[in-house]
Formats: sequence, C-alpha cells, structure tokens
Amino acid sequence: MNAELVLLGRRIDMAARSRRRWLVVLVYLVLAALMAAGWFLDHWRETGFLLFFATLLINRLFLGGYYFGGLIKPFNGKAPRRTEGISDLQLLLRVYRAEPHESEYRNDEREIDQRGRAHYLAYQGLTLALVGLAGLANFHAYKPSLLAWLPIPADQLIYGLTTALVGLALTLPQAILLWTEPDMEADG
Amino acid sequence: MNHEGQKSPGESGLYNRIAVLRAERGISRQQLAEAMDVNYQTIGFLERGDYSPSLKLALSLGEYFSLPVEAIFSKKPLRPLSEQVYGMGGSKAAPQSEPDMEESE
Repeated sequence: MNAELVLLGRRIDMAARSRRRWLVVLVYLVLAALMAAGWFLDHWRETGFLLFFATLLINRLFLGGYYFGGLIKPFNGKAPRRTEGISDLQLLLRVYRAEPHESEYRNDEREIDQRGRAHYLAYQGLTLALVGLAGLANFHAYKPSLLAWLPIPADQLIYGLTTALVGLALTLPQAILLWTEPDMEADG
Repeated sequence: MNHEGQKSPGESGLYNRIAVLRAERGISRQQLAEAMDVNYQTIGFLERGDYSPSLKLALSLGEYFSLPVEAIFSKKPLRPLSEQVYGMGGSKAAPQSEPDMEESE
C-alpha cells in the first residue's frame, strides 16, 4: 500500500488510517449516490453500464488494485505498462508518474498475505450476496407473481443489485485493505 | 518497546530483536527493508511482532545481522543482549529464560 495519493499533481498524505477510512466511506457514498441517480434518470437502463466505468475510474484514481494508480499496489505486482505517451485523462488529472519505483508496484510477502486475506473476506460476503441474488432471480423466474408486491419491477431490482454487486466486487478487497491497515509509520 | 526488545509478542506470537539490532548498527527501516527486499512498513510490522516472517525472510535477516535466526526471533521473551553477552544477570526486570538461544550456543 502506498502512503500517498497522487492526484492533480499533488501528493496527498494517506498514512493515517482515519484518512483512508474517510476515503472508503466517501467512495461508497459516491457510488451509492450514482446508483440512486441512475435509478431516477433511467432505471439503470443505460446508466447501469456507466456505473461500471465509474467504478473503474474510482479504482484507477483512488483505490488501485487492478491498475497502477491509487493507494493499493497492483494485485498482480507487475510494473505499469510503458506507453509512448500520456493519455489525455492522465494529463488532465496529473496522475502519471514518469518512472515509478519498484516499491510502488511490487508487493512483498506481507502485502501478498494481506491481499489474500482481504480477498477472502470480501468474497465471503460477495458469495453470500450472489447466492441471495441468484435465489431472488430463480424465485422471479419460477413465479413472477410472488414478487408483485415489490415497489419496483423485480427484473429492474435484480439488475440494480447485480450492478451494485459488480461495483462491490471491484472495490471491496481494496476497501478492506485500506480500512484495516494501521497508521503507516514514517521511516526511522 | 524497550531496549531489550518487545514487551509483548504481537499478533505473530513471536518476540524479536530487530529494532535493537537495527539501532545498534544505526540503520533505518528503509535501509533494512531495501536489503531484505521488502516494504519498510513490513519492517515495522516485524519489529512490533505483528507479522510472522517467512523462513526465507527470517534467514535473510539472520544473514544480514550475521546472527542465527534464534538470536533474532524467539517464542519466549528475549533477554537483554548486554546481559546475555556479558553475563550481568542481575536485572530483575529481564525475562528469565531463553532456552532457544542457549541451545544454539
């Protein structure tokens, strides 16, 4: 895990656990707000797809994990791909780093251990949620009339829950890591 | 943490002398981390006993400090190095035994 977040050309100190916890809360509040906005705009017909990309962007800028960028080092521990230029988005947000140090992307044995534990915790919850969702979908397919009491159509609810679950699957391991890592000490 | 080492074994259940050895040699966590090829935060976790190192890392630490692994890590509280080396065993505050270390000598 990196102690600093690079955003808009500025290095933001995220060594304190309380700051990282605030970031996690903020990220999920933003995702929940986007979900709610998607419902009011078009019942997620098109915005559901955009939510997926919003989650990827949040990962890229703040959480990390699947990319080089954000606080969590890439889960695969590989160096970022060398590209000829810098993308417009990277340029706009000034999130690029000319030559990252190996310690910024390579996980050591403790970090790999933590990564595994975070994924285990995350997927325990996600698997339960997936089982519940599959049960709801089967229930709906078997006897749609039984879900008629729901305030929104069942297929829309299932789609919305699936979208939320995808968002969680893409962010929960990183959120657990950010939430649980104690305050990072300065070198000394 | 006092000069003798950890007061409690942390989450790993292991006591260690890494902080003392590092202080004796005047090296920073960053320098030790670079030598061990780990993140400097991991050195902090090791020193507090919150992380149990792999055998490879434990052996690397032993090699780095030119000490046997059991001189660095122990399942029981470690005695102060001065007491152990010079035999000034009068300290009441020091933990009583360290069979792992004695066996190795």
